[in-house]
Amino acid sequence: MRIEILFPEFCNLFGDLANMAYLKRCLPEAEFISTTLTEEPRFVSEDIDLIYMGPTTERAQERIIEKLLPHRERIQELIEKGVAFLFTGNAMEVLFEHIEDGGRRIMGLNILPYYARRDMWHRHNSNFRGEFEGEKIIGFKTQFSMSYPVGKLAETEGFAKVIKGVGMNCKSKVEGIVRNNFFGTYLVGPLLIMNPDFTKNLLQRMGLRPHVALESEVEEAYKVRLADFRAKG
Amino acid sequence: MFGQLRFYFAIFFARCTALVLKLIGRKGTSMPGSWAIILCPDFLERIPKPKTILGITGTNGKTTVSNIIEDVLEDLGYSFVCNREGTNVHTGVASSLIAESRFWGKPKRDLAIFELDERSSPRILPYIKPDMLLVTNIFRDSYKRNAHTEFILDILNEYIPDTTRLILNGDDLLCSSVKPHNERVLFGIPRRDGETAERKNIVMDITACPVCGKELSWEFIRYHHIGRAYCEGCGFTSPELDYTVENIDEERKEITVKSAEKEYVYPLLNSSLINIYNSLSAITFLREFGISEDEIAEKMAALSINETRYNETEANGKKIILHLAKGQNPVACSRSFENVRNYPGKKAVILLLDDYLDAKKSVENIAWYYDTDFEFLNSPDISRIVTAGARHWDVYVRLLMAGVPEERIVHIKNENNAAKMLDIDDVESVFVLYDVYTVELADVIKDEIITRISGEKTDEN
Ligand SMILES: [Zn+2]
Repeated sequence: MRIEILFPEFCNLFGDLANMAYLKRCLPEAEFISTTLTEEPRFVSEDIDLIYMGPTTERAQERIIEKLLPHRERIQELIEKGVAFLFTGNAMEVLFEHIEDGGRRIMGLNILPYYARRDMWHRHNSNFRGEFEGEKIIGFKTQFSMSYPVGKLAETEGFAKVIKGVGMNCKSKVEGIVRNNFFGTYLVGPLLIMNPDFTKNLLQRMGLRPHVALESEVEEAYKVRLADFRAKG
Repeated sequence: MFGQLRFYFAIFFARCTALVLKLIGRKGTSMPGSWAIILCPDFLERIPKPKTILGITGTNGKTTVSNIIEDVLEDLGYSFVCNREGTNVHTGVASSLIAESRFWGKPKRDLAIFELDERSSPRILPYIKPDMLLVTNIFRDSYKRNAHTEFILDILNEYIPDTTRLILNGDDLLCSSVKPHNERVLFGIPRRDGETAERKNIVMDITACPVCGKELSWEFIRYHHIGRAYCEGCGFTSPELDYTVENIDEERKEITVKSAEKEYVYPLLNSSLINIYNSLSAITFLREFGISEDEIAEKMAALSINETRYNETEANGKKIILHLAKGQNPVACSRSFENVRNYPGKKAVILLLDDYLDAKKSVENIAWYYDTDFEFLNSPDISRIVTAGARHWDVYVRLLMAGVPEERIVHIKNENNAAKMLDIDDVESVFVLYDVYTVELADVIKDEIITRISGEKTDEN
């Protein structure tokens, strides 16, 4: 089991690497590889079971697009093959058609049928409650951008159905993107610690037994938090 | 013409608001300034300003440093406008200017000193154009308001006027990168014994060379990205310092500061590193403003530490320490956790980290727990951690992730029961770490602990 963490020195704004720290506890035997922005990603030439990338700053995001652009076909091939990906926060925007920033248009890898629009004058902060494959997903958003579908089919690949909160944009009914075993979501922070059912689902998709670390504690914390989300929105 | 009339109307209305607030006995509100800006959006640009304007900003320490600077200048007989009683955003600055001006806005004083929220810079700096601006440091802060350090740096670079003289933290590569073409003075604390290039914290907001992108090498890392770095690729280094701490005498509570080849000894309130940075930045600022070493040293000796941030009491030989751990601010919290770990002797800790407003009306974003070094609390000296509040399960999981053995942790929802859950027999000190919103609660808990400690002693007798 090999897990690649892309550019952790830049893609970790909101405690997001805790997702990987938690997976290490869930999978003590797995090999975790941290790839910096100056190195060639391992997935380009090696077999990787999960590729993780967290949220980053607007400038770093543009450097990452440049870095990954030559590997566009490879990323597309891996997604088609069913390799697991977890892109949290604004990480998935790198794979969008493009990103708008005022009058600027930054072309993305164009793998996912969305575009993002940054608004550096308005920060969006919200709590999210949704559903994926029958399980409740809860999390937090803190971001400058909103995303809009390109074409009619985009929303059929939504990750979580919105129950309460904001999806890809204020009108969208879905949050994030799932394609085979690729997961992209704007939810930030310790998503895997906060959503043990989703973590088990992800492990199963990676061909592993659905066992998570600190199971009873993490599940109790999840129940209490979910009840709070229900009560206070 | 319309603009100027609008300004007069706004200042007139703001004065009426201030008068009403005064009559009903409310102090230090930013309401007059809020009204002035609502009625006249370019109010800050139009109001006549004092001749000299000094600003203090940065992520952490700006209130403490502003207070030191203001106290020293006040003791020296300076008369100035400041926003100490109000807020550090644009409406607070406007309120202070209104309060200290003649009827139609002409300033009553020649000098203004403002503590400034870095996030509010676009609405303040272009209008007040500070002559001198101190930036204490740039750290990761509340995600909601401050987003990330690149965002804050972009704001500062865009809105600090080219003419502003900067006083910057030279041990902080983010801070010292602000407005590279402005005139600047840098302060710092050179490497101390025991400091190495080893990284100790989760958050480190600069790891790559700002010039060529190669991973930076470090002479030493003090905490987070504070330290001195160099690049093996392009030769980039941390900047030369103008004011340096040459010696720290913890016993006498003194520091020796060197500048322009001259050394001078200044008194300290408290010898924690954070406080040394605060004192050093205030000394640099005051020296650059033209105050002599003697005057600064004499007036600093007369200062007293702000009791709401750190307070030590003793009961029956045990210490009870209230320590502010600013919520949603991973760096400030990590610093207080490290202080707890470094405090001598066996100790117990009460954590009150919930955001008061979020706990009441919403669910707090707990992501910041994972940017905060709870790992410091995993120390054999810390025999008991009581965490209380709405998010107690989440804090509990975070502590377990940090490797704290579960038998050392108690987690409960009701903060009022926190003191009861303490095991005080085998500890020498109890820390209560609280957020800005829970000052009163922390005081109640402190009293309860004192009663318990005193009571148990009586039982033994
Ligand atoms: Zn370099």
